[in-house]
Order: sequence, then structure tokens, then C-alpha cells
Amino acid sequence: MSDGRTRVVAWIGREILPHEADLRAWLRRAFAAAGDVDDIVQETYCRLAGLSAVEHIGEPRAYLFQAARSVALEQLRRARVVRIDTAAEIDSLNVELDEPSPERIAGGRRELERVRRLIAALPDRCRRIFEMRKIEGLPQREIARRMGVTENVVENESVRGLRAILAALAEGETQQQPTAARRPSTHDRTRKRR
Amino acid sequence: MTERESAADIEARAARWVVRVDQGELPAEEAAELEAWLAADPRRRGAFVRAQAGWTLLDRARVLGPEAAAPVKVKAPSRRALLAGGGVAAAAACVAALLVPRLLAARYGTAVGEIRRVPLADGSMAAINTDTALEVAMKPRKREVRLDKGEAWFQVAKDAQRPFVVESGPVRVRAVGTAFSVRRRAGGCEVLVTEGVVEVWSEGAGEAPRRVAAGERVFVSDSAGAARPAAASLEITRELAWREGQIVLDGEAFGAAAEEFNRYNARKIVIVDQGLADQRLVGWFRTNEPESFARAAAASFGAKVTVRGDAILVEASAALAE
Repeated sequence: MSDGRTRVVAWIGREILPHEADLRAWLRRAFAAAGDVDDIVQETYCRLAGLSAVEHIGEPRAYLFQAARSVALEQLRRARVVRIDTAAEIDSLNVELDEPSPERIAGGRRELERVRRLIAALPDRCRRIFEMRKIEGLPQREIARRMGVTENVVENESVRGLRAILAALAEGETQQQPTAARRPSTHDRTRKRR
Repeated sequence: MTERESAADIEARAARWVVRVDQGELPAEEAAELEAWLAADPRRRGAFVRAQAGWTLLDRARVLGPEAAAPVKVKAPSRRALLAGGGVAAAAACVAALLVPRLLAARYGTAVGEIRRVPLADGSMAAINTDTALEVAMKPRKREVRLDKGEAWFQVAKDAQRPFVVESGPVRVRAVGTAFSVRRRAGGCEVLVTEGVVEVWSEGAGEAPRRVAAGERVFVSDSAGAARPAAASLEITRELAWREGQIVLDGEAFGAAAEEFNRYNARKIVIVDQGLADQRLVGWFRTNEPESFARAAAASFGAKVTVRGDAILVEASAALAE
């Protein structure tokens, strides 16, 4: 990876992924079919992948929501049939952004805790592989040797672990954090609006 | 038309590609296959970068070092002890204020490494960072604070009749009820606002005051006045971690981080190989433990630490081979 791209990817991991659960919740409200939400999220990441620099983005959360909003609008235009309430939801984006997210309050300090928790929550074999790879920095071959399995097994377990971690992020693993108390209000409001 | 690939399928393929790429340089035909796969659908490129971001996020675990397995207490245990000195000083200051009502000015100084939390006579609160000189004068029409050097954060009690003004050289920061920090630097002041709104200006610039809102930061130059305030809520939370006796790093360069530690300690971190200064770091540390910071940082990028008198030397391991 080039230097610029490495920075963009690291930035997405640090500043964007933690907001994905909130983004999905908002998109789910605007779009009935969950399938659409996944598509929009992936296309949104595609746009972020196209960034050559991120230093100018002061509010990554707001930026993510804006990017998703424009992807969603494009989809609506493609679909040609627009439900009035859907369009209204999208316009209410700004209301959503005013609410501070747990991350915004917690700051960067929780990052390490989160990473540790994500790894700790993996199934046993998976977790050992991630600890060797990510904490000790061992190459895959060495991990396979130490565990007495083939490299293929290590690869499969790594894929499994990575998917589990991404899913945890997408579902908002932040709920287990001490800031959990802030969460219910978001949910209550969602229900009221439905 | 073929059936549209599901988002879940894309997600699974993307995760596999990321793990493959992590194993090292892809063989040419596999790299071409990846390129073709990515090019066929923007969702694939999105899923790929997302998986890479997640994978990279886990690299931060490396900063944790071998301690990672053991749960690390986040709350600094000796925070009370750290601030207790401040309480005593504050009490003394209050007594002084009662005894000498005419001389309403109170001086607060902190030594290198000292952090104090001080209640002020009007109900406001000041957190005073390392190596700082502060003078507080509660006047009938104005609450005046002079910051000669260093840094302090203020939680200002509401009093519309008496604005709270921090003066540092020609720079002025005015608040009614709000919370903000001021740090004296060469040529101006750094102002971070955590609650409400403040007005900033420099007497030396002759400009109208500029409003700075919560979650924004601004640099006020002694001679040129205030720059445009910039939104920076996450940064602000991090940068004010000194109030808890902590330094929180989130991708800062090692060089800048070392300088930050050196503000708090007589034992200075010296980076022998300048190449190390650009290494980026993540983690949280106690301000008064420069050596454990240096060791954690060195471990994360394979450098070596030697302690010589009051210097903590960090040098690249390769340089030792000679």
C-alpha cells in the first residue's frame, strides 16, 4: 500500500468504523429492506476509499453520514420511486448529527480497549491466531508452525475472525461500554418515529 | 442479466482478500485477479477497504505489547494523590483570600510535573498543568486571570455581571459561563473550548473579538490575532487528558509525544535517531512515567532504550550493531 493509502485506511479504521453501527441504524430507518442498507454501506466505503487525503476532514462522523446520504439519494434516483417519508428521513440527517456519539465523548483513549475487547471476544483458536499476528507480529507461517496446523487453517481462521470483528463493529459493540447508558435514548426515539 | 451478488458474499470475499494481502506481496496473477474483482463493482472496493480498515485497526494492539492479555486499569489509581496537593494549596489560597480581602489576587504556580485542580473564590474551577504561572483577581466588575506561562483549563461559574477574562500577554479570552483551556506558546495562545462559547482576541492586533464554540480550537497570535476556529472535539478530549494526569496519543508522531512528556518531567526523553521521531503512536500513559512510555514506544517499533542520568535515550536497534 502506498503511504497515502495506508493513512486513509488507518483513518477509516479509527474514525469511521466506530460510527458504522449508528449509520446502519439511521439507514435502516430510512430504508425498509436491510439488503439496501448493506449495499449503501459498501458503496459509501468505496467513496471513502477514493480519498487521497483525510487531514482536511474535521468531523469524520458527519462526513460519513454525508457520504452515505449522497449514496442513498443516488440509489433513490436510480429506483425512481421515492417514498415521501424516506426522502423526509434523509433530510432529517442534520438532527441525527447533533447527537454526540459515545466515541465523540470518549475520545481516542478507548481505542485500545476496544481493540483488546474485539480480540478477546473471538472464539479461542481464532483469538490465539490474532494475538500472535497482531500483538506479537508473527507471520502466518510461524503461527501455523506453532499451532501445528496448515497455513490454510490459519488463513481460514483469520478470515473468520476478521469477519466476526467487522460484524461486531457493525452491530455496535460499543453497547458493552460504560457509555451504554446513552444508547437507549437513541432507540426510544427510533421507536417513537416508526 | 446475472443475479446481483449479495452484500454478504462480497463481504466474505473481501475479508479473504485482506488476509491474503497481509501475508505478503501477492503473486502477479493473484494481484491481477484482485484488481479485476475490485473493478467489477464499487461495493467490492468498499467492502475491501472496510475490511482493510478493520484489519489495520487491530494493529493498534501491538502498542499494547505483551501486557495485552492482562486487563489494564484505565483509571489512574493515584490520581487523587496527584491532585491532593492542589487541594491543600487551594485551601491555603482560600484562607489567604479571606484574611486579605483587599488584595484579592491569588497566585498559583505549578512545578514541572505538577498538576493542580483549584477551586476559585467565585465557584469556578481551574485545572493547572505542569510548569504554569497563574494569577487570579476577583474584581467587582470582572474576574481576571493572568496566565504568564504554561496551560490551564477553566470551568467558569455563570455570572453575567462579571465576565471571566483570561489574559496572556496581549491575548484575551472572555467567557461568561463556559469551560475552556488556554495554553501559552511562543507568539500566542492555544485555546480549546469544551463547553459554551468564548470570545478571543489580541490587544496587539486591534481586531474585533472572535467567537469560539464548544468543540472548537483556535490559535490566537499575539500580533496577528485569532485564526479561524477549527472543529476538533475528539482532539480536544485527548489533549485535555492531562487533567487526569494522562497523555493520550492517537497517531501522534513519537517526536511530538516525547516533547509532550518532557514538559512534565525533569528526566528528558532524547531521540537519538531522528528517523524514529516520525513513527506514529497510539496509547495512553501517565504524564509522570516517561520511561515506561519510552519503553512501550521503543518496543512497538523495535528501538532500544538506555537510561543515562537524567536522559532517557531512544535509538534504533540497527544503529547499535555498528
